[in-house]
Amino acid sequence: MPSDKTAPTAASLPEEQSNEQKMQSMISALWERSRHTVAERARLLQNAGELWNENRLDTATKLRAVDSAHKLAGVLGTFGLPRGTDLAREAEGLFGQSTPPDKAEIERLQVLLAELTRLIDRGPNPTV
Amino acid sequence: MTRRILIIDDEDDIRQVAAMSLETVAGWDVVLANSGKQGIERASAEQPDAILLDVMMPEMDGPTTLLKLKASGMTSHIPVLLLTAKVQGPDQRKFAELGVAATLFKPFDPLTLARQISAALGWKEGD
Repeated sequence: MPSDKTAPTAASLPEEQSNEQKMQSMISALWERSRHTVAERARLLQNAGELWNENRLDTATKLRAVDSAHKLAGVLGTFGLPRGTDLAREAEGLFGQSTPPDKAEIERLQVLLAELTRLIDRGPNPTV
Repeated sequence: MTRRILIIDDEDDIRQVAAMSLETVAGWDVVLANSGKQGIERASAEQPDAILLDVMMPEMDGPTTLLKLKASGMTSHIPVLLLTAKVQGPDQRKFAELGVAATLFKPFDPLTLARQISAALGWKEGD
C-alpha cells in the first residue's frame, strides 16, 4: 500500500531503496507460491455468486464466501493489488448482509467478482 | 536493539510476508504461530517484546486469544497489537476495550509495518 508510506529521510534513503528491492523480490516470490490459494478463493466467490444468482446459496457456502472475501481483502493489497482489496471488501459486505440481495446487488457482485478474477489472473505489477 | 515479535495468524501468506518485512526492514527476530493456542504457548516460552495477533482465526479467534494472554501471569505484560482486515467502527471500539496496545490494518505495507509497530508502542530506533 504505497499510499501509506511516509517519505524517507535523505539519510535513510539508500537503505530504504535496498530494502524495497529486497522486499519486492521476496513478495514476488511469495505471490507465486500463494497465487494458487488466492485464485481458489476467488473461484469460491464466483461459484457462490452464481448460486446466489440462482437463489440456491446455502448458509455454509455463504459463510465460506464471507471468509474467503475477508481473507482476500486482507492480503491482496499487501501483494500490490489494492484494487483487489477494495473489490474483495465489497464482496465481503454483499455476502455478509442478512437480507436477500436485490437484482442490482447481484449484478454488482457479478461485475466486481469478474474484475477481481481478472486482477488476480494478471497478478501484481512488479513496477508498482 | 533487536526486538522479538510473535506473529499469530492462521494465514500462511500473511505470516510469511509479515515475517520477511520485520526481519528484512527492521532486523527483528520473528517467532511464528499459526493458531491462538500455539500463539499462547509460544508467547509463554519465547517472551517476545510484542505480539501481532490476527482477529479472525478458526477455533480460537484473536479476541479470545488476547483474553487468555492477558489472563496469564506469563504473558499479561506483553503488548498485543491486533492485525485485522475489519474496518468497522463497532469492531474497533470492542478491540480497544479488550486492552490491545494498538490495531493495525490489513492489507499492510511490508516496508512500513515495523515502523507502524514501533510508533504504536512508542519504540524509538536504538532503544
